[in-house]
Amino acid sequence: MTTSRQPPQDLAASLLAAALLLPGVQALADEPPQGGSISLRYLDYADRQSGLDRIRAHSPSISVTAPVAGDWSIEGTLTADDVSGASPRYHTAISGASHMQDERKAGDFAVTRYFRRGTLTAGAAYSTEHDYVSRALSLNGTLSSEDNNTTWAFGVAGSRDSIDPVNHVVVDEHKRTVSVLVGVTRVLTPNDIGQLTLTRTNGDGYFNDPYKLFDNRPRSRRQNTVLLRWNHFVDSTGGTSRLSYRYYSDSFRIRAHTLSGEYVQPLGGGWSIVPELRLTTQSAAYFYYDPVYDGTLGPPFPPGFANADPNRLSSPDQRLSGFGAVTVGLKVQREIGKLWTVDVKVEGYEQRGNWRLFHDGSPGLAPLHARIFQVGLTRRW
Amino acid sequence: MVDGIYRFPFDAMASRCEIRLAAPDGHAAEELALAAIAEVRRIERTYSRYRADSIVSRINAAAGRYRVECDEETAQLLDYADHLHRASGGLFDITSGVLRRAWDFRKPCVPHARDLAPLLALVDWTAVQREDGAVYLPRAGMEIDFGGFGKEYAADRACALLQERGVRHGYVNLGGDMRFIGPQPDGRLWSIGIQDPRKPDGTVASIAVSHGALTTSGDYERFFDVDGKRYCHVLDPRTGMPVSHWRSVSVLAPLAVLGGSVSTIAMLKELEGLSFLAASGLAYFAIDSTGQAHHHSISGDYAS
Repeated sequence: MTTSRQPPQDLAASLLAAALLLPGVQALADEPPQGGSISLRYLDYADRQSGLDRIRAHSPSISVTAPVAGDWSIEGTLTADDVSGASPRYHTAISGASHMQDERKAGDFAVTRYFRRGTLTAGAAYSTEHDYVSRALSLNGTLSSEDNNTTWAFGVAGSRDSIDPVNHVVVDEHKRTVSVLVGVTRVLTPNDIGQLTLTRTNGDGYFNDPYKLFDNRPRSRRQNTVLLRWNHFVDSTGGTSRLSYRYYSDSFRIRAHTLSGEYVQPLGGGWSIVPELRLTTQSAAYFYYDPVYDGTLGPPFPPGFANADPNRLSSPDQRLSGFGAVTVGLKVQREIGKLWTVDVKVEGYEQRGNWRLFHDGSPGLAPLHARIFQVGLTRRW
Repeated sequence: MVDGIYRFPFDAMASRCEIRLAAPDGHAAEELALAAIAEVRRIERTYSRYRADSIVSRINAAAGRYRVECDEETAQLLDYADHLHRASGGLFDITSGVLRRAWDFRKPCVPHARDLAPLLALVDWTAVQREDGAVYLPRAGMEIDFGGFGKEYAADRACALLQERGVRHGYVNLGGDMRFIGPQPDGRLWSIGIQDPRKPDGTVASIAVSHGALTTSGDYERFFDVDGKRYCHVLDPRTGMPVSHWRSVSVLAPLAVLGGSVSTIAMLKELEGLSFLAASGLAYFAIDSTGQAHHHSISGDYAS
């Protein structure tokens, strides 16, 4: 008799591979949802900078997932945002913001077809504000290996936005984007899953913020994202950690690194608790200007404005500045019976120019604080 | 879609079996269950040692005389048996069924070494010749049987058939070897008890499962006790004697054939069974000969 010299781990894997060769024996890949669900969510967002409560948003939303005809499922979400607050300032160092009020309605809808080793999802999204309409279409697919340990994902999406600002700075402007995505998810061990996703987005059109003076951005933007994720199940606690790293770069010369982690700990009795932490650092766009103003004209004019082409690229948008940011959050979830879930989430965000790493920050900006409060109710059937 | 759950108990493979599935109505459920039961009975008929017309009986009857052509399915089952033999270091051997000629578990009588020796000479999978889709047992009296994983194979096949026909909720239970199609229609997991190996109507653990398979090997299915020592039907092919380290080994796996193979190999490996189970990465629940439980649970889409 022969003696196996294989390590037992390989041995179990090889047994599974051998078993899968048996005729008519298979483990199914992605499966259609077993039942449907309906979720109601309410999100309350507020941000502020020193001396100014900026934006406040209330967003109720409803989403539905339902299986149909065995191998299909449909899902849809409707959201209404009610945004109020101060319109964005040139820079946080100066006052003079006017009051704004807006309402956004958005809906998306997707249909998924499940195959033995893959899925195909077609989606559409529409959103409207009184000065901005966005339409998007997407097609995404997954394909799993015979042993289900590896899943490939691919996707393509396009959007077309119409911009008609109330101040008539521009009329009937457009923005178009096309994105492609490839990814691979692999089961590394029974407790570990790894994922790598690459996304490329090409956008053309109007990227300016029409409500900011001196906001003149390139008419094209090329964005690349690399996302690495690792989920680990911890035997000793029964919890799951989810770690991810995202690298972003674009043709505005913004480079960003984001490291995030959350840990889901079931507590028994249907309770679970999810602490989360996210660290971000990004470099400024090459045309972003710090709150240092033209020597002759003073604020809000960018330096050199008096002598330069007033159409040159520039933006005072805080989101294009160099900064570091920290998000700390806590979500508590409770399952009530087998059909209802209630969750409450609180998140705090702080962004500061001098928290950036690897590149220059924009220290002249006042820190930005935001807090998010979200409550959700889900019913399955 | 509001589906009811329907139960179909039946007897097959010398075991009490049951199919549970969700369907829109009783008629649809019955049609589905009958198709799955027919598949179980087809496998039983094709591979039964007790039916003279089965392929297994024809291969055994030709031992030492001539080779028998195999169909594709039989060839693949033999391939799997070969893989199990190599992976278990020779402990899993489908030619070891001849030892049953010495072991009759209806009578509490331990066979003598002189009765086992000639049978042990017939236990030798490595001697079996396979080429061009044919199989030849070189010594007269040699036998093969798929009892070690036939039931699990039937459970996987019946399950695949139900899944192909759109069943999303239910399970197939063939004498305690279970393969799950999906959770209950309302999303709840099935709660499955693991039998107490010393109390026929008691359970030692309960496990929630929605997908994959739960299989158990134990010393309590066919056995007798003599002088306080248990002799069970799981036999070491090297000595012809029953294994004794484990009372039962249950394994949660993506496929019933895999779970059944791993639990049987763990029984055969005796003391080393625990490290084998631990390293396999599968969830298990094992009770040793002193009654102590050893278990390990993992995450996975087939368990929770």
